[in-house]
Amino acid sequence: MVELFTYTPILKGFIVLIITGFSFPITGVYLLRMNLLPLRFMLMHGAILGGAISLAMEINPFGGTLIVNLLLVLLMTRMARSLKVDPGQLSAFFMVVSISLAFIFIYRFQVPAKDTLSLMWGSLYTLNDFEFVGTLVFSLLLILFQSFYRHQLRAVFFDSDIAKTSGVNEAGFYYVIILVTAVTVAAAMKLIGALLLDALLLLPALIASYHAKSYKSMVLWSSFWGGLFASVGFLLSLLFELPASSTIAVFASVVFLVLILTKRKRRCS
Amino acid sequence: MEHSLVILHNDRQIFSSDEHWLYPLFELELFLKESAIPVDQLLLKDKIAGKAAASLIARLGIRNCYIELLSERAIPVFEQYGVKYAFHEKVEHIQCRTEDLITDKMSMEDTYLFLRKRAGKVQGTALKINDLTVEVAGKLIIQNLDLELGRGEQLVVQGENGSGKTTLLRAILGLVPPDKGSILIGEELVGSLEWRKKRVQTGYLNQENAKNNFPITAAGVVAIGVSGVKISDNERDYRVELSMRKTGCFQIRHNLYHQLFGGEKQRVSLARCLCQNARLLLLDEPTSYLDEKGKEELGELLIDLSRNEAPTMLLVSHDSAWTEQMNWHTKTLKSGKLW
Repeated sequence: MVELFTYTPILKGFIVLIITGFSFPITGVYLLRMNLLPLRFMLMHGAILGGAISLAMEINPFGGTLIVNLLLVLLMTRMARSLKVDPGQLSAFFMVVSISLAFIFIYRFQVPAKDTLSLMWGSLYTLNDFEFVGTLVFSLLLILFQSFYRHQLRAVFFDSDIAKTSGVNEAGFYYVIILVTAVTVAAAMKLIGALLLDALLLLPALIASYHAKSYKSMVLWSSFWGGLFASVGFLLSLLFELPASSTIAVFASVVFLVLILTKRKRRCS
Repeated sequence: MEHSLVILHNDRQIFSSDEHWLYPLFELELFLKESAIPVDQLLLKDKIAGKAAASLIARLGIRNCYIELLSERAIPVFEQYGVKYAFHEKVEHIQCRTEDLITDKMSMEDTYLFLRKRAGKVQGTALKINDLTVEVAGKLIIQNLDLELGRGEQLVVQGENGSGKTTLLRAILGLVPPDKGSILIGEELVGSLEWRKKRVQTGYLNQENAKNNFPITAAGVVAIGVSGVKISDNERDYRVELSMRKTGCFQIRHNLYHQLFGGEKQRVSLARCLCQNARLLLLDEPTSYLDEKGKEELGELLIDLSRNEAPTMLLVSHDSAWTEQMNWHTKTLKSGKLW
């Protein structure tokens, strides 16, 4: 199995997956704490729209996905704050709009639907240099953001009003968190696909939330679980010659299930 | 050089101050708080004492004093509180504006707070609301409301559920924009750039959100009070410990906040406000989830706070039985106005 790592695409995929495995679950913590779960559905559909536009215009789908997602979150956040509408409702609205526009693009520009929908599955081994370096740089920035602003983030997640009255720029942090989420979802879709990205984003954060006793431990545990799922899932996929993304997702789901059952059993006893 | 104030314990000097006016007595108050010496065994020697100094000496619990120049106005105070006094010279009154301002109607605590304010030892800041009107979702909640609170003053605002008490607090906090009127905290207009820089001076003890299960310790919640300011980790730890000790919750610092009892949570939240050095404290229905014992403890804590740090406090509550015990000035919010 070791000789597989001599192939550049596999080595690149492995490096990116390990780094993002540790860093992306931080965004999962943000999503959970700010109750932004509907947001990622909007971003998944936005990614299909971005993919469709990119394929129609013959540009890099990763870049197109990223731009569309960033525009969507900015629009959604601005509308939610200025019109005082629930972000969840707006996410559902933009989700429908995105997928409708995506299919209009596919029809109008005769984009092969199969190519667009391939975004749903991810393509870990087809990372170009820009995607490889970009994802690593973003992971580093995410870790730095979390480390540098941990006190302010803790305040925002505890209670947004209290954060404001403690002098924290809550609105600024909200925007940054939403933008970070948009980039993470776009990158995770490229790595393991839209349908499986929760294995890298949400499951680690969800498991950590069951046993974490502080915000710091929640972030650290999320990173630990994410890194574990990514590395073990990747190695298992090579060992059993399975698709990496679904192997990671299955392994994460099994661990999640075992922990839930163990916890339930402990509570009963 | 002779000291202006000297304290002797068994003929041994344990404290002295060269400050003027009432400042040596405020220094002595801090010294006594940190020492375990029985106050009634001390002998206080002061250069000059009038009614104001006598009130502070009596309130400190000192039972023996020698005053070089004693105002006759100080004598009734000493006699009322059983303070034995001796003097070198007695005068009818001393030339001091403060002495003239203390009236017989003022209680010991009123006098103490008044003197702290005169000495600039009150943490509180002034609040001034002019002609405030606030609409929420097209409904008029606050209408042409005026309110003025001096530094270190306390006010209870009562009112039925839905009368706009919380909206009033949220407007003061800058969380709800006013449709008309202005709110001044100290010199800063709420919403202005200067106010944003000093936003941390307003502490908010909001209604308990029972659904909040965020994993955070009691000490973590208190530390949120300094999240918006750049300080070292050591300074943060020091301020957290100090404020938790002040509100009597240091022993539960490692406990998860959402697992605490209602009364413990309120102590922690108050510590958070102290940690951020709040000069205006807004309390929104603080007794909502408290039993009788918890209410009693919170009441004592707030009264204690009003006498020591003395932030300006605005408390809204519909629990009139509890607020009456506080003996604070009370107004009622009705039809969008204070009565």
